[in-house]
Amino acid sequence: MNALSKTEVRAELDGKSGPQFWRSLDELADRPEFREFLEREFPAGASEWPNDQLSRRHFLGLLGATLALAGVTGCTRAPADKIVPYVKQPENVVPGQPLYYATAMPLHGRGRGILVKTEMGRPIKIEGNPAHPDSLGATDAITQAAVLSLWDPDRSLAPYLHNRISSWPAFQAELLAVLQKMDADGGASTRILAEPDLSPTLARQRQALLAKYPRLRWHEWSPAGATASAPKPDYDLGKADLIVAIGSDFLSELPGSLRYTRQFAVRRRVLNGKANPNRLYVLESTPTLTGAMADERLPAAPDRIAAVLHSLGAMTTENLNAAEKQFAEKLRADLAQFTGSKIVIVGASEPPEVQTLAATLGARFPAAPPDQLTDLARNLQSGNVKQLFILGANPVYAAPFDLKFREAVAKATFAVHLALYRDETSACCRWHLPQAHFLETWSDILASDGTPSILQPAISPLYSGRSEHELLAMMLGDFQPDGYEIVRETWRAGAPNDDFEPLWRESTHDGVVRKLSAPAAGAALVANAPTAPRLEANQTYLLFRLDPTIGDGRWSNNGWLQELPKPLTKLTWDNAALIAPAMADRLGLTNGDVVELRCNGATVEAPIWILPGQADRCVTIHLGYGRSQAGSVGNGCGFDAYQLRHSTTPWLAVGLEIKKTGRRRELATTQHHHSMEGRDIIRVASAATFRGKPNFASASLTSKASLLPETPPLGPGRYAWGMTVDLGTCTGCNACISACQAENNIPIVGKRQVLMNREMHWIRIDRYFEGSADTPRILHMPVLCMQCEKAPCEIVCPVAATVHDDEGLNAMVYNRCVGTRFCSNNCPYKVRRFNFLEYSAPAGSAFAQRQNPNVTVRRRGVMEKCTYCLQRITAARIASDLQSRAIRDGEIVTACQQACPAEAIVFGDIQDRRSRVSQRKSEPVNYSLLDELNTKPRTTYLARVTNPA
Amino acid sequence: MIDRVISPEETYDSVNERISAIVFKRQRSWGWLIGFALAFLLLSVLVGSLFWLFFRGVGIWGINIPVAWGFAIINYVWWIEIAQGGTFISAVLLLFHQQWRTSVNRFTEAVTLFALACAGLFPVLHLGRPQYAFYLMPYPNTLGLWPQFISPLVWDFFAVVTYGSVSILFWYMGLVPDLATLRDRTDRKYLRRLYSIMSFGWRNSARHWNHYETTYKVIAALAAPLVISVHSIVGLDFAYTIVPGWHSTIFPPFFVVGAIFSGFAMVLTLVIPVRAIYRLHNVITDNHLRNMAKMLLAMGMFVLFGHFSELFMAWFSGDIYDQYHATHEALGTYAPVFWITFVCNIVLIQLLWFKYVRHSPVILFLVAGAVNVGMWTERYLNVVGSLHRDYLPSSWAIYHGSFWDWSTFIGSMGLFLTLLFLFVRFLPLVSISEVRRLVYERDIE
Repeated sequence: MNALSKTEVRAELDGKSGPQFWRSLDELADRPEFREFLEREFPAGASEWPNDQLSRRHFLGLLGATLALAGVTGCTRAPADKIVPYVKQPENVVPGQPLYYATAMPLHGRGRGILVKTEMGRPIKIEGNPAHPDSLGATDAITQAAVLSLWDPDRSLAPYLHNRISSWPAFQAELLAVLQKMDADGGASTRILAEPDLSPTLARQRQALLAKYPRLRWHEWSPAGATASAPKPDYDLGKADLIVAIGSDFLSELPGSLRYTRQFAVRRRVLNGKANPNRLYVLESTPTLTGAMADERLPAAPDRIAAVLHSLGAMTTENLNAAEKQFAEKLRADLAQFTGSKIVIVGASEPPEVQTLAATLGARFPAAPPDQLTDLARNLQSGNVKQLFILGANPVYAAPFDLKFREAVAKATFAVHLALYRDETSACCRWHLPQAHFLETWSDILASDGTPSILQPAISPLYSGRSEHELLAMMLGDFQPDGYEIVRETWRAGAPNDDFEPLWRESTHDGVVRKLSAPAAGAALVANAPTAPRLEANQTYLLFRLDPTIGDGRWSNNGWLQELPKPLTKLTWDNAALIAPAMADRLGLTNGDVVELRCNGATVEAPIWILPGQADRCVTIHLGYGRSQAGSVGNGCGFDAYQLRHSTTPWLAVGLEIKKTGRRRELATTQHHHSMEGRDIIRVASAATFRGKPNFASASLTSKASLLPETPPLGPGRYAWGMTVDLGTCTGCNACISACQAENNIPIVGKRQVLMNREMHWIRIDRYFEGSADTPRILHMPVLCMQCEKAPCEIVCPVAATVHDDEGLNAMVYNRCVGTRFCSNNCPYKVRRFNFLEYSAPAGSAFAQRQNPNVTVRRRGVMEKCTYCLQRITAARIASDLQSRAIRDGEIVTACQQACPAEAIVFGDIQDRRSRVSQRKSEPVNYSLLDELNTKPRTTYLARVTNPA
Repeated sequence: MIDRVISPEETYDSVNERISAIVFKRQRSWGWLIGFALAFLLLSVLVGSLFWLFFRGVGIWGINIPVAWGFAIINYVWWIEIAQGGTFISAVLLLFHQQWRTSVNRFTEAVTLFALACAGLFPVLHLGRPQYAFYLMPYPNTLGLWPQFISPLVWDFFAVVTYGSVSILFWYMGLVPDLATLRDRTDRKYLRRLYSIMSFGWRNSARHWNHYETTYKVIAALAAPLVISVHSIVGLDFAYTIVPGWHSTIFPPFFVVGAIFSGFAMVLTLVIPVRAIYRLHNVITDNHLRNMAKMLLAMGMFVLFGHFSELFMAWFSGDIYDQYHATHEALGTYAPVFWITFVCNIVLIQLLWFKYVRHSPVILFLVAGAVNVGMWTERYLNVVGSLHRDYLPSSWAIYHGSFWDWSTFIGSMGLFLTLLFLFVRFLPLVSISEVRRLVYERDIE
């Protein structure tokens, strides 16, 4: 018997990690050839005496080779990879020149247009697609972080049969048999569970499948509740003078939020010394980013929201308390005043009673999403379903607890799970199939306003992943599916044959399909709608919300999103039960106290987080945490809120009981102090004050004497970089943090390091509360390196590792830094970050492939900070030098600026009077943070102008 | 007058005998062995901590952003202030012809050196990349880069290096005649050879003494201003910044006074037990202790003035950040540390106004020990208290020393004690030649 070679063993082990790895080693060890491999000291053939006569010549030859090779191992450690030059140079791949591909990212069933930056074939960064209506060039934090998931080594690498590694051919062999059975019964015992996805190709395949198997049933479900086929209202916020949001976070959670933020920001900006802000009323139970932007905000429990809305219609204010009465009277007056230019938005997760009342004010809302999972679970339990295909969803983890989906899935004899990760559902299914990441696949999707986009891969699948289109094609009988052709087939129908190629090229190039028509999407199945809880006074409510960073749990294993501070709580790596300060006082709870939440007959233990601005009698818990099989990053973070979520009351449950357990859980927050302590940090004035005194933000400033020399004015042809951050339009959405992390290779540090205040984000968003704890004003302020002209950090560095360049950048020389950390101590803005330990991804890891090659990866013991994206400045300088011209205004866009949906960040040359940044800085609301210190920051802020009634 | 610093019973021979006997006779002292073993154990803790430090990085400590300096800097300042005592007693008192310094100066100089050794460790260890510490040295290199001379850390580097070299010179210079005495008195060959190399062939000639006296005075004159400069610069490390609580012109003199305060306290803490163990009451008399107690009280009052001045300036300047710092220090997060400091450094030393306390070595020992603790907590307040809450409340955070912070700190005491134990065992801990001179002066009086 031949002994196994090392490569064969490696092939056996390939694609296994964690517990499976060891399991397969055991398996291997049981095989005699593997035992032999373990026992042998040298590879086969090296230690045996050759069978034939060993000639003297041969012996000497071996001896010589041994001597020669003995020296080789003593040399420096060689890189593990082979370096092979291209035989044929691929088109357009130039080392050092990034290539951008237009595609779209599916999010809640809708597509968001993106441009993927690839360096030498590696996708490393995602930017918004300016041509796409749901992006307009901007992104949100999740979109920025999606590229990290592509490179996640925890992703599923191979098909698994009963949790043992298998192969696609093995799956196809079984599928063939199943398909024959389905042919026989018309698919009667077969169900497909897919996530809502407005993909024309998916719709076409679904129709084809339903035509082939008329008794097959297709279920659409996602824990976010969004049904793709439900029509969604679309708004033009730019035209509205009055916006009323009732439990709707339209600035951050709708598919069109980036566009809404852009439109909203246009009205909130001080331009040419004038402000004409719209007025935003927000009535909500739990604080949202939209609530933080409100001119008038009323936190209220759902029954009080109903009462306030009712009073508006009934023209009475009895039964309302003082704050509610004040809010209702102002709102009623404004609703009457702005009849022609008002928009009322009601949240999809609000109870039907509130939605109906909101409709009387003019709100449009989507019909309650039909619950298709209950029906599926019931049929699984009763044994009617034998074959179940799950496309992407993770129902074992995320289904409402009452459906007992784990047991239900086990009843299907042929359950197939196609997913990015081997998650909770995979473990319960017969087959797990690796799904290709959306950056690896061909597909198509519609935007929130119906604009279609083609998804094109930026890289071929890293592992053996396949797209859902390819799996569906297999079910339709094509066992060699080609995603590219499948998608083209959908669109070819919409164009005459000779026109198709150029139109296809144009559509994939632009990222939006303009001249090809989308096939109509098929209607989804209708099932029972959730019943509404009765809103009664003095009840305690439990609100379920998607987590602001990791969503419904699908981003659990994304370290960037785990470490991204939640916009309002600033928590990382955990979820918590959010309660109002008054309620916490009543129950004697403090932050981190673990309580037992009992609702719908289920209990969950959760740590408490007190959130000013939360409505009394309302506890909010975020979905997506408490996962057991998310991967090495996401496992064990937080608690599982799905364990309380009942299928009939997915967003709002009544009758919550809270019991103290006496235990505590440490929660990692990036901001411990929430008051400005009377310091003039974020400067705000009402529109009326602003009109009377436009320079309210900087009026009190008197210039002080300084011992440090003034920066000499630069000559022509030089630049003075500067930035403005508009606090009037910044919503605090975190997109800039995530974008900066991706652009500048910023590592994540983990919960324990965040607990020690060692997070590495170069830009952070400070969140302050002002006013009473029950109804505070919530303020956001992005803080990044101010690039002070008189930088306190520079003078204290003993080795000149942080120095000023002549264009005003406060540069960090990483290889000069010895790590005294004196600069950080002397930085009044505390924007410097230190590599206390070795945080950066090791060179061999998959994450190292994602890193931006133009940004130094910082080692342990080195200080780092924002550099205004120096690499982008340099790239623009090279481009302009090649063309012998000056750098144009707007040619350099920093990563944070590029991502910002509100266009709150403007960067450019402040020496150029006509540049956008100079114009922003000449606004009367322009001010410097901590201007009394005389550090002369190049980054300045534009004060916020609000428009309260 | 001279009776007060040397007992009338002592003769040249008795002095020689008494002091060198510590080196030669007490070879199998269990007390010394156990003490040394304990000190060495602590030193091993230091070595272990440093191993882990170099392996993992400074992240093993509790430091964070905003409190980027922690135990390492606190310990550095604390140790270097302890070092101060020896230099002050030796050099400044020599220049002022204070005879009482004679019998304690050798010991205090050793304390200086060993404390400096501990202090010198920390600025290097606290670096994120200690392997590049030499970037702080001005050395010609191909990059054409120099240290940044406007940074107080560079001044600090020069100040400490100068202080260290001068202290070693001064201490060793004083040792030379005594090493010759030891050379002449030992009956073991290898020791004689060792001591004769170390004593540079000292023959006790008038010419030698002439050179010696000149050199010793010159080095003393060099060392005396270092007392001021080193600690002024340590003070400037803080005062140079714009951190509320650090940015204060009182800091340089405040640190100088604090250093003398701390130095005398440590000398008292060590001299009292050493005197008792080695029965040196005849050479280190009660009068020595009383003098040092008076110095301790005087310096303590200066420290009190420094605190008052800080508070006054916070109020007087009208600076909201300074005011917040001043009130938060006493009432905020680190209030316990503040009140420990207050009791140890300000309340307890008031006992020294009483003659009874000054005459009681036990109480003196306890008060001096409290001052050592108080000076450490004071530096903790200086470093951490100011950094943890500066300008933007969003960055405010708490700092606590980690296990490794404590082990490094306690381990550094191990280094100090180990050196001290070796010193009392192998070198004369009181200057033989200078005490002999006292005998001479007494006799001619």
